[in-house]
Amino acid sequence: MIYEKEKRYIIPFGDVPSPRAEMPEISVDERRENFTEVETGFPEKIAIQEARRCLSCRRCLGCALCWAECKPEAIDFDIPDEELELEFDEVIITKGQDNAFYPFNPQLGYGKYADVITDLQFERMLSPTGPFNGMVVSPLDGELPGRIAVVQGDTGDDEAHLLSSQVLGVNQSVIALDKTKDLEMVLISPLCESFQEKFFAQAEKIPGLQIIAGSPESVEKGESPKEPLLLKYSANGENKQKAFDLIVVLTKPKISPELESLSKKLKQDIV
Amino acid sequence: MDDKTVLIVGGGLDGVRTALEQAEAGAQVTIVEKFPTLGAERIPRDRLIRPEQAFMNPDLDKVRDHNNIRILTYSDIKKVNRDNGKQRVRILKHSLRVDNSKCNDCKACIQVCPVNMFDDFDEGLGFRTAIDHCNLTTSEYNIYKEDMPVCQETCPVNLDIRSYVGLIADGKHLESLAKIRERLPLPGSIGRICPHPCETACNRQYLDEPISICFLKRFVADVELDQGVEPVYETPEQKYPEKIAIVGAGPAGLTCAHDLARMGYEHIKIFEALPVPGGYLWVGIPEYRLPKKLLQREVDLICNMGVEIQYNTRIGKDVAFEDLQNDFDAVFIGAGCHQGLKLRIPGEDEFEGIIDCVTFLREQALGNLPKAKGKLIVIGGGNAAIDSARVGWRMGFDEVYILYRRTKKEMPANSWEIDAAEHEGVILQYLAAPVEILGANGKVTGMKCIKMELGEPDDSGRRRPVPIEGSEYIIDAETIVPAISQGTDLSFLPEDHNLNLSRWNTFGIDEETGATNVPGVFAGGDVVTGPDIAIRAVAAGKHAAVGIHEYLRSK
Amino acid sequence: MAGVSRLQYTPEIKTVRIMCTGRIDPAMVARAFQKGLDGLMVVGCYFGDCHYISGNVQAKAKIDMTRKLFKYIGVNEERLAFRQCSSGEASVFVKLVTEFDEKIRDLGPLGGDGDRVKAPEIFGKLKAAEAVLAGEKIRWVMGKRTPFLETGNMYGEIFTEHEFNRAIDMIIVEEIEVQEILAKLKEGARSVKDLAGDLAIPSERIFRYITALKRKGMVALDNVTDRSPIFQLVPQEV
Repeated sequence: MIYEKEKRYIIPFGDVPSPRAEMPEISVDERRENFTEVETGFPEKIAIQEARRCLSCRRCLGCALCWAECKPEAIDFDIPDEELELEFDEVIITKGQDNAFYPFNPQLGYGKYADVITDLQFERMLSPTGPFNGMVVSPLDGELPGRIAVVQGDTGDDEAHLLSSQVLGVNQSVIALDKTKDLEMVLISPLCESFQEKFFAQAEKIPGLQIIAGSPESVEKGESPKEPLLLKYSANGENKQKAFDLIVVLTKPKISPELESLSKKLKQDIV
Repeated sequence: MDDKTVLIVGGGLDGVRTALEQAEAGAQVTIVEKFPTLGAERIPRDRLIRPEQAFMNPDLDKVRDHNNIRILTYSDIKKVNRDNGKQRVRILKHSLRVDNSKCNDCKACIQVCPVNMFDDFDEGLGFRTAIDHCNLTTSEYNIYKEDMPVCQETCPVNLDIRSYVGLIADGKHLESLAKIRERLPLPGSIGRICPHPCETACNRQYLDEPISICFLKRFVADVELDQGVEPVYETPEQKYPEKIAIVGAGPAGLTCAHDLARMGYEHIKIFEALPVPGGYLWVGIPEYRLPKKLLQREVDLICNMGVEIQYNTRIGKDVAFEDLQNDFDAVFIGAGCHQGLKLRIPGEDEFEGIIDCVTFLREQALGNLPKAKGKLIVIGGGNAAIDSARVGWRMGFDEVYILYRRTKKEMPANSWEIDAAEHEGVILQYLAAPVEILGANGKVTGMKCIKMELGEPDDSGRRRPVPIEGSEYIIDAETIVPAISQGTDLSFLPEDHNLNLSRWNTFGIDEETGATNVPGVFAGGDVVTGPDIAIRAVAAGKHAAVGIHEYLRSK
Repeated sequence: MAGVSRLQYTPEIKTVRIMCTGRIDPAMVARAFQKGLDGLMVVGCYFGDCHYISGNVQAKAKIDMTRKLFKYIGVNEERLAFRQCSSGEASVFVKLVTEFDEKIRDLGPLGGDGDRVKAPEIFGKLKAAEAVLAGEKIRWVMGKRTPFLETGNMYGEIFTEHEFNRAIDMIIVEEIEVQEILAKLKEGARSVKDLAGDLAIPSERIFRYITALKRKGMVALDNVTDRSPIFQLVPQEV
C-alpha cells in the first residue's frame, strides 16, 4: 500500500463486495444506423452492490468518546474555526511541510515492500520526536537493521538536487550510525562533481559508511516477506547486487499543486 | 510609519528561517502553516553534520517567542486579492477543538479514539487517532476533521457523494436522488456524461478500483423515471421581485436559473439562440450518450419552478445586449463555446464537405444533415472528435477515420470513449497530421496526411509531435470534420461593452461570485474557462447564482 | 405458551428469560460461546411492539454487529440468530426453535467442520472478541447508532446505515487485532517478530499497532535483545 498524503488508511473487510460493476451496453450490431442509448444503466441489484463498495471515508466520527473520557474537560466540539482577513505588504511563499516529491524509479519497490522507505520517512524515523523516538527500525517487523542502503531515487542530471540529496544521505547515515550499534550504511548515488569536490573526502572517513558512485537499478525480494531486500545496482560499468535490511530512497522535492496555484495567483516565486 | 507586514506561507525549515530574518529586520511577520505545528526540525542538506547537531534548530524557539511573529498553524489560505499594492488574504484557522490550557496529557482520549489514520506529520510511518498531537514535544492536541471526503472535495459542485451512495446502499433511492438534487439540478444528464473527477480521487482505488459514483447517480435518476415519480421542488416563502436575464440555456445557465428560483426569485428568463434547451448537452453530446427526452424532462422540471426559456432568440441579433442590461436587474452570460476552430491548411476554404465538429454535431442533433455518403475523416483527439466519429459511424458513413498527431496515451479524450470508438469500428490513426485538403469540382475528395514521431516534451509535459519527412500519404474521403478545439463566439456583445476579456476571448470573472468587471453582469461556464466539462459549468452557474443573490440584496 | 398448547420442541435448548432483548450484551454472547455454547437464538418482539420503545431495534443492530464480528474471526455467524415472534404465537416459536436446532445440528459442535477456525484456537479468538465487545470503543459507537442515523454526530452529519456499518467494520477489524496483540503481551514481553509468529497478522501491521499503542502509553519498550526490540504492557490505572 503506497502511502500518500491525506489518503485514508483502508482496511479490507470481508463483506465489502469487490470488483467494480461494469456498465451493461447494447451490442455493436445494435448501434449501427441508429442513435439508441449505448449504456443501459445498472439494474437495482448491481447498483446496491456497487454502492456497498463505498468505504464511507470519514476521519473523525464525531462520536465524542474522547470528550466523555476527558477528565479535565478540555475537549469542546463547539470551538469554532476562525476566519481572518489580513492585509500584507509582502507575501513570501515557502515550501512548507507538504514534502511532496517527484515519482521515481518504480523498480525500487517503494509501496511494494514495507522496508523500502523514502528519505522523508527516514528523517522522521531518526527524529527524537518521530514515531519511534529516534530508534532506527525496519517498518516491516520492528527489528534493528544490520545493513541499510541509502540510494538515489531520481538519477537525473539536476546538479543542485543531487548535491543536496547526497549531503542529506550522508547526514542521515551519520545519525543512524550514531544511534545503532553494528550498523553498516551504504550510500549509492551517481556522485555529482560538487559533492566530490566539497564533501567526499570528509564523508569517506566516516566509520561504518561506504560511499559508492553508482546507480541503483531495482530491488527484489524472495517469496517470503521476511527475506532481506536484494538491491541491484551498477557501479564502474559493472552490475552488482547486495542484500539489505532497509532501503532508503532519496527523493526529489516537488512543489505541491496548492502552492503552485497560489504562487501563480500572486505572481510570486516559491522560496 | 507603520512596520512592514509580511506573510510567510509554509512553516517548514525555509519558512521559519525567512520569518526570523524578516522579523529581525523589523517587519511584522505572520506565518501560515497547514499542519497543527511548525516543522522546522530537519536535517541540514547543505553541510555535513555531527550526530549531536542533528535536528537542532535554534531558530524554532526564537520564532515561537518572537514578539513580531504571529504563528497561525492548522490554517489554510482561502483567498488572495491584490488591492493597491497590498495583498488582502483570507485565512481560515481550523479549530483544534481542544482547549490545550486545560489538557493534562493523560492520553485518555487517544486511547479510546476508534479512528486510526496514517500520520501525515510522520510521513505515514505510524498511526494517529482522530484526536491526537502531531508529536510529543512541540505540538498541541487537536481533532482532525476533514471538511468533506476526498470525492466531495474533488467534485466541482461538492456533491455529498458519501451520503447519496450510502442511501443507495440502504435501498433508499429516491432519498438519494433528493440529496443529489440539493446541489445538482441535472442528475440524469450529468450521471451519463460526466468524466467523474471524483472517481479519479476515490480512496477505494488504493484497495482495488474506485466506486462507480457517476453511474450510481444515473441509476437513481432512472429509478425516478421508471417509477413515474414527479419530484416537487420547494421554493421558499420569501419571494424576490428582481428580474434576471440568462444568456444561454446550457448547464451553466440552467443551474444558475434553478438555484435562483430555489432562492425565491420569480422572474428569471433564459434567452436561447437555438430552438432547443441544454446548450452543448443537446447539440454537442450525441443522443446515444444522452437521450434528448431525458434532458428535456430535466429542463422541464426547472421550468416548472417558474423559469422561462425564450427559444430562437440570439442576443445581439434578436435582442440587443444593452436591452438586457436595461430591462433586467442582473445578467448572467453562459453562452458556451460553440465555434469550431479552423485547421489552417491549404484547401480548407475551397471545397464543400468540410464541416467543423461543433456544427457537425449540432446540425446532426437538429436533424439538418443530409444522408451520409462515402468516407469520413475526423481530425483531433478530444472527446468532441470521438463523438463526431461515433456519430458519423451511426449516420452510415462507409468508413470513419480519426487522425491524431500524438499517440493514444496522450489523447485528451476519456479512455473509455476511445475504446468504445475502436470497438465500434472507427479507424484511429495515431501519429498523423493533416497537410492539405484535396478536392475536385468544388467538392472534397480526400486529404493529404503526414506521419509524425514524438520528440522532446513541450511546456505541457507532453512530447511534441514532429513530422517525418517524406512520409506523406493520402486518405480518400468525402467529408472532413476538424475537431481540434472550440472557441467562444462573443459577437453578441456591443462594441463598447467595457467587459474584461482574456486573450482567448473569454470573460475574466471573480471565481467566487462569477461577477465580471461590469456591475450586474455575471458570467460562467465554457464562456469563461474555454471548452471544459459540464459539471464545472454547473459549478460556475451555482457560484454565479450566489453572486447574483448577494449583489441584488446589497443594492 | 408452547407448553400450554402442549406443542413439542427439542429438549436440548435452554431458554433464558430476559426483560427485553435490548438487555443482551454482545460481550455476554461472546462469553457464552467460550463456555461451550454451540448456538444462540435471541427471540424478541416484533418491531413497533417494544414495551421500551426501541429495545428490539437496538438488539437487532447489536446482534447483526456481533454476527459480523463472528464471521470475521472465523466463527460461523449462523450460530447466532435474531428472530421475532409475539408471546401469543406458540406455533411460530416452536417453528423457529426447531429450525434453529436443525441448523446447529448441521453445523456440529463449535470449532468443528462448521467453522472456519477450529478448536482450540477458536476459543482464543472468542476471547479477543469478548474483549472487543466489552471495550468502550464499540460499545460507545453502537450506543450512538440511533442519534447518528437520526439527528447526527457532533458535527451534525447524519449517517446512512451503510456509513454507520462501515465505521463499525473498521473498528471491529482493528480492535480484534489489537486485542489479540494485547492478550499475547499479557503473557509476557515480546518482540514484533515473536508476535507475528504467534498471530496470523502480517508483521508490518503488528508493528504499526505496537507503535500506536506505545504512543498511547499502553505499551513500552522493555529492552533490545540482539537486534529485536522487546515490548511489554504498561499496566493501566482503572
